[in-house]
Amino acid sequence: MLVAACVKWADLRPEVDPVHGTVRSTGRSDGFSEADRAAVEVALGLAEGWGARVAVVCAGPPAAEAGLRELQAVGVDRAVRVDLAPDQPSEAVAASLAPVLSALLAADVVVCGDYSADRGSGSVPAYLAHLLGAEQALGLVGVAAHGDDGVAGVRRLDGGRREDVVAGAPAVVSVEGSVATLRRASLAATLGAGAAAVEVVPGRPDPRAEAPRTEPWRPRARHVAPPEGDDALDRVVQLTGAFVERTPPRTVELEPAEAAQAVLDQLRAWGYLEPPGRPD
Amino acid sequence: MSNVATPAFGAPDFDAVVVGAGPAGSAAALELARAGRRVCLVERGPYPGAKNMYGGVVYGRILDTLLPNWWEEAPVQRWVTRRQTMILTETAATTLDVRNEAWGRPPYNGATAYRPDFDAWLAQKAVDAGAVLVCSTTVTGLLREDGRPDGKVVGVRTDRPDGDLTAKVVVACDGVNSFLAKEAGLYPTVDPANYTVGVKETIALPRDVIDERFGVRGDHGVDIEILGCTGDVPGGGFVYTNLDTVAVGLVLSLPELSRGDQRPEQLLARLKAHPAVAPLVEGGDVKEYSAHVIPEAGFDMMPELVGDGILVAGDAAAMCLAAGIWLEGVNFAIGAGAAAGRTAARAVQRDDTSAAGLAGYRARLESSFVLADHRRLRDAPHLVMGELAQQKMPRVVNGVVEELFTVTNPDPKPRLRTILRRQMKRHGVKWRDAVKDGLRAARTFG
Amino acid sequence: MAEPTHYPELSFESRMGSVEFRVAEQAHIVVDDRICADCSTRGCVVACPANLFVPTAAGGILFNYEQCFECGTCYLVCNEEGAISWSYPEGGHGVVFHRS
Repeated sequence: MLVAACVKWADLRPEVDPVHGTVRSTGRSDGFSEADRAAVEVALGLAEGWGARVAVVCAGPPAAEAGLRELQAVGVDRAVRVDLAPDQPSEAVAASLAPVLSALLAADVVVCGDYSADRGSGSVPAYLAHLLGAEQALGLVGVAAHGDDGVAGVRRLDGGRREDVVAGAPAVVSVEGSVATLRRASLAATLGAGAAAVEVVPGRPDPRAEAPRTEPWRPRARHVAPPEGDDALDRVVQLTGAFVERTPPRTVELEPAEAAQAVLDQLRAWGYLEPPGRPD
Repeated sequence: MSNVATPAFGAPDFDAVVVGAGPAGSAAALELARAGRRVCLVERGPYPGAKNMYGGVVYGRILDTLLPNWWEEAPVQRWVTRRQTMILTETAATTLDVRNEAWGRPPYNGATAYRPDFDAWLAQKAVDAGAVLVCSTTVTGLLREDGRPDGKVVGVRTDRPDGDLTAKVVVACDGVNSFLAKEAGLYPTVDPANYTVGVKETIALPRDVIDERFGVRGDHGVDIEILGCTGDVPGGGFVYTNLDTVAVGLVLSLPELSRGDQRPEQLLARLKAHPAVAPLVEGGDVKEYSAHVIPEAGFDMMPELVGDGILVAGDAAAMCLAAGIWLEGVNFAIGAGAAAGRTAARAVQRDDTSAAGLAGYRARLESSFVLADHRRLRDAPHLVMGELAQQKMPRVVNGVVEELFTVTNPDPKPRLRTILRRQMKRHGVKWRDAVKDGLRAARTFG
Repeated sequence: MAEPTHYPELSFESRMGSVEFRVAEQAHIVVDDRICADCSTRGCVVACPANLFVPTAAGGILFNYEQCFECGTCYLVCNEEGAISWSYPEGGHGVVFHRS
């Protein structure tokens, strides 16, 4: 039996220009996020209870191998680096990780951090569960072994409530950083970790993947005609639309697909989205 | 433990353990590894240099013997070709400005660098030579022979699980607070008056703006030492250039700082607002604030450098030269670390790492710049931090210069000696004190 | 020449926000504030570059350890023997400089 943890090598402290809002990675602060480290600890804990082996799979550049060796010193049996650029979309990351988890490692339970530190969406675990045909329990705030191969977790709900979930093998779970603190490696293991081997597997980058946007999305500026009228008050009234009748809010009850279409149509009507058929 | 032989009962894990992968520790580990000794370099930061901060300039001449042509690969920000000594009052500044293009060509003189880059580079050199580097590991104490509190040092205890590390000799390069040198009983007393605290802002500015403001081109840079900018607290300031950041900082004497009512960052804000400094540093985004304690008193505060099974080097042995016009530390650390490494390697080879077997360390340092400079300049910190140099001299100097260059027509120009006498009187400087300190300075620096 | 953008003067919080601290679970500073109650100088309050020591109304000292530069100023200026116990934080934790 094998428990795998998926981690991502990411810049944990990118520089943000306080005036321009631009984000820049300096490469000085790359590492595994707290959530990823918690995932490794959870994997180690589950494996100890089951007498299973532990593997770590990391999507990242060669620099990540130093971090993987540290994880091997902590007690991970096998480390695999999937060679993948950091700006790949979740689909491509999951498509690269899935064959390693299923074919190479034959993992029974996969533990991920809830989302990656480089503005991740947290969707890789869901994609993974889909590709592996596994049960999923995502964003857990508490996790424990359930029987011989299942995982019992606690998930946040709105209003401070909690939900108990159980996922049986094959399972993909993702955990928040607060779930566990990664144990420290012993001195002897740390001294020996320098020689530990990290397997490298090529990733499957998405050829369609675009460079991520570095600016917030804003609606396109719209042309507004200058107000007419001789006196300033008239022009202000016109500009603010104070006495003009507004479109009243409306409530619609629709099936999800139709509701999504209605939302898109409305956004287009307001100018937040381009009309269909026109280039972005 | 795959690449480290598990010791037979009683045999140590390593020939030597070096604590702290700063410049001293890495130089010691490099020399030990080159001599074929099994050496472990233990660093408490996540990488070498993570805990280190300084006043800006590395003088690399000492590296010539350790790493020939080091300048071709060292992670340097700028080569210092222009240095200034600035004497400030609240509204005036008198500056000595020196420029030398030869310092911008091999073999170079001083360089600015980020310590996380520089220290990591130097540590990698030790690793390449065969040293084993362990990061994220804090040494919490010394191991003694037979567990006796006064026994020979036979290793260190770290905070990792199963964290004891035994060795024939321990080289303590654990920085200014050196808990190891203190635990080994090498520091007789710790007097806060011997210490200053340095605070520094690293401020991002476009590279061409830095070139323009500081009057340099390419990879040439500037280092400015400042006196009279610390209010009532004895100390000094500095400004220096990196490639696309400028660093501005203060060095503040601990006893007076703690008795005063101005906090370090408030004093730093005052320096940044000074009319002579503001145009150099204003307008940028502060990328990092940092602070570190400095062993200011030099030779007079140095601990015993050798104990039974232990050597001390770098800031841990107070090898920091803060002598007004000179501000050096990294070079002394490298020099002392290398000497410690060589001594330890010899001692291991002769199988005598007792205090007597390691005694050659002090002799090596005495015959090199490390102790020669410190011994000769032992008075300098007291002179520079004294009231005359700190409070009165900046006022007299700037007062004299002001009178000298203020045109007083229709009154005739006063004589220089008249100006000097008048300014000294105004600022309460007695001839007797000036001559006394002057002679002392002449003896020290002359 | 690129025009330098002007940034406002720093608040103390954003000053400290520019520094990376990997906070350990265990505090590496411990202050026995029964001793501080008798201290008249309170050197640590003004001298600590990270402003970690705050006098309380009750006459003690409130301390933080999370944003500590690990410089040692506090125990060096402390004139009440034994009030501040200070060691280094767990390996890999505490302050991490990048451009110092």
